[in-house]
Amino acid sequence: MALDPITSEIIQNSLQAAADEMFVAMKKTAMSSIIYEVLDMGTGIMDARGEIASSGAGIPAFVGVLDKAVKVIAAKFPEDGLKPGDVYATNDPFYGGVTHLNDIIVAMPVFADGKLIAWTANIAHNSDVGGMAPGSLTGDATEIFQEGLRLPAIQIVEAGDPIRPVFDILKVNSRMPDVLEGDVWAAISSVRVGAARLEQIAGKYGAGAFEQALGEFMDYGEAVSRKALRELPKGSFELSEEQDDGRTFKVRIEITDDTFSVDLRDNPDQSTGPVNSCRDGVMVAAQMLFKSLTDPRGLANAGSFRPIELLTRPGSTFDAQEPAAMGFYYEIELRAYDLMWRCLAPHMPERLGAGHFASVCGTFIGGTHPETGRQYTIIEPQVGGWGAAAGKDGNSAIFSSFHGETYNCPAEINEARNGVVIDRMELNCEPGGEGRETGGRGVVIDYRTRAENGYLTAGYTRSRFPAWGLHGGRDGSPNYVRFLPKEGEPSEFAFVSAMPTKPGDVIRVITGNGGGMGDPKDRPREKVAADIRDGLLSVERAREVYGYDG
Amino acid sequence: MSGTNDKGRTIRVATDVGGTFTDMVCFETDLATGESRITTAKSDTTPPNFEQGVLNVLKKGGVDAATVDFMAHGTTVVINALTERKGVKVGLITTEGFRDTLEIARGNRPDFFNLHYEKPKPFVPRYLRREVPGRMNYLGEETQPLDLSPLEGIVADFKADGVEAVAVSLLHSYANPAHELAVLEKLRELWPEVAGVGSHQISREWREYERGNSAVLSAYVQPVAERYLGRLEDGLKADGFEGQLYVMQSNCGVDSLEATARIPITMVESGPASGFWGAAELGKLIGEPNVLALDIGGTTAKCSLIEDGEVTIMTDYWIERDRTSAGYPIMVPVVDLVEIGNGGGSIAWVDDFGKLHVGPQSAGAMPGPAAYGKGGTEATTTDANLWLGRINRDYFCGGAVEADMESAGAALQAVADKLGVDRDEAARGIVRIANNNMVNALKLVSLNRGHDPRDFVLVAFGGGGAMHAVALGQELGVKKVVVPAGASVFSAWGMMMSDLRRDFFLTALADVGEGAADGIEARFAETEDRARAQFAEEGVPSDKVELKRFGKFRYQNQEHTVEVPLDGAVTEDALARIVADFHEAYEKEYTYRLDAPVEMVGLHLIASAEVGKLKPVESALTDAPASEALKGRRVVDFATEGRHEADIYDGEALCPGMSFDGPAVIEDPGTTIVVNPGNRVEMDRWGNLHILIAALAGTKELEAV
Repeated sequence: MALDPITSEIIQNSLQAAADEMFVAMKKTAMSSIIYEVLDMGTGIMDARGEIASSGAGIPAFVGVLDKAVKVIAAKFPEDGLKPGDVYATNDPFYGGVTHLNDIIVAMPVFADGKLIAWTANIAHNSDVGGMAPGSLTGDATEIFQEGLRLPAIQIVEAGDPIRPVFDILKVNSRMPDVLEGDVWAAISSVRVGAARLEQIAGKYGAGAFEQALGEFMDYGEAVSRKALRELPKGSFELSEEQDDGRTFKVRIEITDDTFSVDLRDNPDQSTGPVNSCRDGVMVAAQMLFKSLTDPRGLANAGSFRPIELLTRPGSTFDAQEPAAMGFYYEIELRAYDLMWRCLAPHMPERLGAGHFASVCGTFIGGTHPETGRQYTIIEPQVGGWGAAAGKDGNSAIFSSFHGETYNCPAEINEARNGVVIDRMELNCEPGGEGRETGGRGVVIDYRTRAENGYLTAGYTRSRFPAWGLHGGRDGSPNYVRFLPKEGEPSEFAFVSAMPTKPGDVIRVITGNGGGMGDPKDRPREKVAADIRDGLLSVERAREVYGYDG
Repeated sequence: MSGTNDKGRTIRVATDVGGTFTDMVCFETDLATGESRITTAKSDTTPPNFEQGVLNVLKKGGVDAATVDFMAHGTTVVINALTERKGVKVGLITTEGFRDTLEIARGNRPDFFNLHYEKPKPFVPRYLRREVPGRMNYLGEETQPLDLSPLEGIVADFKADGVEAVAVSLLHSYANPAHELAVLEKLRELWPEVAGVGSHQISREWREYERGNSAVLSAYVQPVAERYLGRLEDGLKADGFEGQLYVMQSNCGVDSLEATARIPITMVESGPASGFWGAAELGKLIGEPNVLALDIGGTTAKCSLIEDGEVTIMTDYWIERDRTSAGYPIMVPVVDLVEIGNGGGSIAWVDDFGKLHVGPQSAGAMPGPAAYGKGGTEATTTDANLWLGRINRDYFCGGAVEADMESAGAALQAVADKLGVDRDEAARGIVRIANNNMVNALKLVSLNRGHDPRDFVLVAFGGGGAMHAVALGQELGVKKVVVPAGASVFSAWGMMMSDLRRDFFLTALADVGEGAADGIEARFAETEDRARAQFAEEGVPSDKVELKRFGKFRYQNQEHTVEVPLDGAVTEDALARIVADFHEAYEKEYTYRLDAPVEMVGLHLIASAEVGKLKPVESALTDAPASEALKGRRVVDFATEGRHEADIYDGEALCPGMSFDGPAVIEDPGTTIVVNPGNRVEMDRWGNLHILIAALAGTKELEAV
């Protein structure tokens, strides 16, 4: 039966609405601030084969994760064994999990006319899934076994009823069992909301129409991408870049009329530390950049990404094999992303600006709340400075390209919920990022701890090599932590694991300014004067870098 | 009190200052019969002296200000001053270490694949954001004394820089405003003539960016609003007005002019609020307290859910926020609504890949839909409705405009060519896409929150509400659609039904375990005292103040809350019942409940007092057949249900008690009501039209295409 285009479009629009509803349900029910406040989560709708059809708001780095997880689940649990009301989960990058063990993906099959027509799924960062360190993330891990409980694509709800032993295993493995349980239920609520909506749509138009509309939607996504791809500069581009940890990463990108090919094979072997990504992870990085280059405002579905080819070498840091530790995968994914961006930026000045602070700057602060006596865990990505782009100064204080509709934690809530004191949360006025257009500002945040048994874990990149300038603009400034103990000497670092803290110690988080663009001497005088008036720039530095004579 | 004048009638007037026009609706009620005569008038809005437009429209409508007993005033002056950046230069005083909160904001990037995203600029530049030392903690305890010594220098700089209003926002002022009050007092001493506002005056909830930005935006519009409201009052008095003047608020209530001038930001969404309040009042009147309210205007459609007669009020309101921008938060009580860019003037367009879209771009008032014949070349929803015969081409805009069908046809042809279909098909597509956009918005406020549309009636108003309401009602599966009498001036009617109302939201974390009741009760009592004291200042005695309590609850560790109504004093017994209510409300919305500790995060208190509402009157039901109001028949294309010969009724000739069946179209000077085949229409005792949705089982949308 031919489906008329308007009905097809109505079904497609409803998918977006359903993914958004799932997002809201998750946000409102979650127990970890990393989910409800930071919104470190994603929701999406896959077709019966696990191809992504529509995604909710949230994090660009999570849009391309859910399909990979659902494909693994769907392969393991064939359609004839699935029942309405079943729910599945995975968190293991070697079983479709893509990211790290903290991120649990929950997926639910959706049926209409007695057949499987779609999957609803979501992913969110859970506060503690066990492992060798509180918060499950630690730079000391050398194997994934040390990073928490592994869920290798398993069933957690059977026809609407939770499988109790699975929940018991989940809870007993977490340092924050109630929070983990609450967050998993939030995820279940979210996939149920989505499934109910899809059943309703398919019930109204018929399963056949529903499936056809999804197929057409993906073809549409592909057509949009292919048209935009043809407008990109063609050629082969290469970059080699030294990393903070001394490794050198390389990329080669070839753009033709039909493909966007990314070659990451020539890269170091997988690390013995948790600084690896699986192949799916760097695929997400390639998808994010490709989407930004081709159709940043439009929808993203499986079709949008069809022109991408990715080459990786199994056993390398971008295609790590079991049992590699994966905790800080996100920094590696971001490094791959930034590498591709930097590789192409000089050739596409209209599309790509200078480098941004380009680190999640994941900050984990825990301890016992002095008033409530309960364990708290702050898990925060940080905002930082973005690079200048053609004709525009970079944005100050927004999340990295990995994150999107992500929110920082208000000081008032942090103080109440976690019992820390936030002494300051202000723009970073360190030099860096000067140019005709300037990089945006990072931030300086002081967390004064009050817990006796506190700890800090952090893992930032772009600390030795800050955000890169472009076309004569200056580099930005580094991401790092300055630790100011109540007693003893201050210290600075970018990677630390479960470092003990005492009441009165100050953890100062400093995120970098973005890279500048163009020669600073070409910056209009009145803009330099405005930066001086705003206290962002000293007169001395203005004279030195901008040739300011005011 | 100036109640009734001695002419045996009461005159109530609603005036509404919009971006283009200033509207007036006058309700002249005969005290003997209770019947109201309604007159309306429209005149140009007169920026920057908005009060002049109000005085003009009264004259134009033949209303003598001296005879008016009660006037409610709504205005878009505040929202327009914000969006057009026509406020004053603001200076901000904040806690040491936090001058950049306004600029850091929340760091989100909604347009996340766009690498050229532009973060919204703060309303106060960095050099006008200044700090004072001193700290409160989240328990409201002082941990560092306030140091007022920098204020003199700050004030001198602000004066030199031409600052006209000052916002003060200090950390944890929601828990204890003492420091903010001290800064404001010193500020008044140093600079008595400047407008000053503290964040705690606007919100007693946590989140420093949201509260601080609210204070800044309030300061930004305060001198403008204060001046205009002052002149309005003076102008009315000069014309002899001695009645009571109230200003419509975003929380569906009205408030005194004086209170509004102090915190004008509370007017920010007053426009839609009155219509939604009207829908709630109408629902109570007709015995349908569960209402899905839909207001379709020229450029947008707005909807809101009313449960058990209560509108939902929230403090999570943002301006200029959409998929491409983070926007700016305003933490004031605003009716919970979803707004989408779909109205009568929304433009239909086909993308490079042959997909049809409707909105969010609008043809606006100029050039307007192609059929206005004012140069519009792009097809709008209105053009599609005309083309399909849903709007009468010979009675366009109540006969005021001659429909330019040639232009409408040409505009539709352009869409049709791109889609590879004929014009009829293109017009049907536009109507279906527009309906689907609105259905998704209505689902957001209903299904998405665990409500079953079958328990609700859809109340549709605004210029375009009734055109689409029946199709939407069918799609949603509501039990019936109600189009109120005078749907096009329904917002004004809502204003006439409003109470003097204030919503108090207070962040106050509390356990709900044993022994918790006394503390919670004390918080409520304290807030109620504050409410009564405020009303007393307005001359409302405390026995006239109605108070309603709500608690905001969640499972421990969660952030978002579920609001649960509380009846009577909070005792240990009551608390157990309240917690049970919470579990139930939670499961309804989210499909599960947990065996986890529950905590209370804050309270919401509604304080209201009646101030001379309009009393709707019933008419006798007629035995006359509806055919008396029949003015003809024509072929109407119902999009998904095909083309049908429809009865056309004159809305003004219909009488209470008449009933008939669709397919039909009811034409009224302000609205057109499209009744799809199979639905029954009845006019009730108050002149409202009830459209009973026929059972839809088996109606496959595909069959008709």
